[in-house]
Amino acid sequence: MSTLSAVKTKRNWQRSFVPSVFGVIAVAIATAVESHLPGGELRAISTIFMFIALSQAWNIIGGFTGYASFGQVVFFGMGGYFTAVVMLKWQFTFWLALPLSGLFAAAFAVIIGVPLLRLKGHYFAIATLGMAEGMREVVINLPDLTGGGAGISVPIAGKFAKTEYLGDNGFYFLFLALAIFSIIIGTIVSRNKFGYGLRAIHQNEDAAAAVGINTVRSKVIAYAISAFMTGMVGAGYVFQQVTIFPERLFDVEITVLMIMMVVIGGSGTVVGPLLGALGLQFISEYLREHFTSMHTFILGGIIILAVILIPQGAVNYLREGRRTKNYSLLANIRRYRL
Amino acid sequence: MDTFLQVTSYGLLQGGLLALVAVGFSLVWGIMNIVNLCHGAFVILGAYIAWEMQSWIGVDPFLGMFVSAAVLFCLGYVIQRYLINLIVNGPVFITLLLTFGINMILIQGMNLLFTADFRSIQTSYGSNSFELGNIRIPLVRLLAFLLAIIITFLLVAFVKRTRTGISIMATGMDRGAARLMGIRARHVYALTFGISAALAGMAGTMIASIETFDPSKAGKFTLMAFVVAVLGGLGNMYGALVGGLLMGLVQAWAGQYLSGTWVNAIAFLVLIIVLIFKPNGLVGKAFYAARVEI
Repeated sequence: MSTLSAVKTKRNWQRSFVPSVFGVIAVAIATAVESHLPGGELRAISTIFMFIALSQAWNIIGGFTGYASFGQVVFFGMGGYFTAVVMLKWQFTFWLALPLSGLFAAAFAVIIGVPLLRLKGHYFAIATLGMAEGMREVVINLPDLTGGGAGISVPIAGKFAKTEYLGDNGFYFLFLALAIFSIIIGTIVSRNKFGYGLRAIHQNEDAAAAVGINTVRSKVIAYAISAFMTGMVGAGYVFQQVTIFPERLFDVEITVLMIMMVVIGGSGTVVGPLLGALGLQFISEYLREHFTSMHTFILGGIIILAVILIPQGAVNYLREGRRTKNYSLLANIRRYRL
Repeated sequence: MDTFLQVTSYGLLQGGLLALVAVGFSLVWGIMNIVNLCHGAFVILGAYIAWEMQSWIGVDPFLGMFVSAAVLFCLGYVIQRYLINLIVNGPVFITLLLTFGINMILIQGMNLLFTADFRSIQTSYGSNSFELGNIRIPLVRLLAFLLAIIITFLLVAFVKRTRTGISIMATGMDRGAARLMGIRARHVYALTFGISAALAGMAGTMIASIETFDPSKAGKFTLMAFVVAVLGGLGNMYGALVGGLLMGLVQAWAGQYLSGTWVNAIAFLVLIIVLIFKPNGLVGKAFYAARVEI
């Protein structure tokens, strides 16, 4: 008995120690290189951090719970607009607006989650997509509050600006912090009972309910956590961009990027979205620089190849390969083939 | 009252066009459980083919649409047979991502080939219209509307009366059993996708002769097809027609009686309400949710 618990403790210790060491090293490197990077690189890396946080957020509802939220950008936009409005109209500081935007997005997720999470599969995807498109129109049509289609600007200088603009370095650290925060939340969800409940819902919702998981509550909480993080990232993005427009803040492409990163990296894992965001954003930036006109073309080709060759995502592919000692891509294609 | 009738007739005509865009999308979704995100790109590609036909050799769009349909049928067949069939049993995200990747390539390809300029097909009768009481009805829109209805009925006749059509329906209901009866599911899937792409091409031709188009409009058509297919429901060939007409009416009324761009928000509001109270759509059938896949 004591040996067993000792082994278990050791395992648990290893499980949390090894990734944290990697994490600390990565953060140390990120902090150390920051002062040596030019502005353009800083912004590019901030974007990578932003997408790490976004893909981790999507992973909680899409990866663990298996609900394809195709309108995740609605929380990005709602959080962002919340920040812009409270900073402009009521002179909130950014540091107060940031967590409040997350809470605002989470509250919105609870309200729409209760009816929408009853839907499954494609129907959930389209309903959330419709919600995002609809909210964009609502924002456009409330010009008194949101500036409408003409956009809205966050005060960054003068007596109305409670928080100074952070600059490239500041946003680098802001998004780094958001990325770390999202990874920590992802790890906590992944390791505890709640996360296993979400995985059970993913595999078979009826069976999960039968073993005593309150599926409705779990799904809504997962949706709210995911919305909370997405909303905070949206707030950071708005402050970085200063002037924002509804088209950009509710752009369906942001959702698609999140999903691509999670699926290509490996959904339902914490490392997967991290690797997916790093890899895809890096490739995308590289292509944009070196093959400007063919950029989308090549990216589309890479997505098609990745989806066909490793449909379960890179991390899951490696894990299964290590377990079964079979890294054959051909066997992998056969899995989902008709 | 005249305004109301005018708006309603416009909504019905526009609804027919939406139905034409959505009918192929709904077919693919219902039979194969694939949400085809490159459907809008097919629509635009069809429009470009008809445009090229007209500007090169002066083919009328109502003839050119058959060329569009033929080209897109071949493209759709190949895409399904050699790409989508490889992952057709995967989870939802996988098929969505694959078709999104194809969509990116198609749109970028069209941007490179045809540039991003707005285009439209000009015909001698393009601006003709006639009066019905106090209501003005544009000729081309009416023809497009009639085409949508004819195509829907032809499609119903095809899947109910022909051997190929019945095999498509059988594969949609229970792929495993269909394969045991000797139906080549891979071929049937590719055929279904080809038909869907061909219908998208025809819809694109109609759109090109009614309004302007450019590659960036593809996303809008995919979204519209999605909304209309969900509204009408899957598993019923008339679903797209019902959904399209309803959507057209809602948009026309909202555009007339509400200010600004509330019209789009209303469209999605209707969609979400229908989804919550009638998850299978207005005329959809439930068995598509619970079928067996082998």
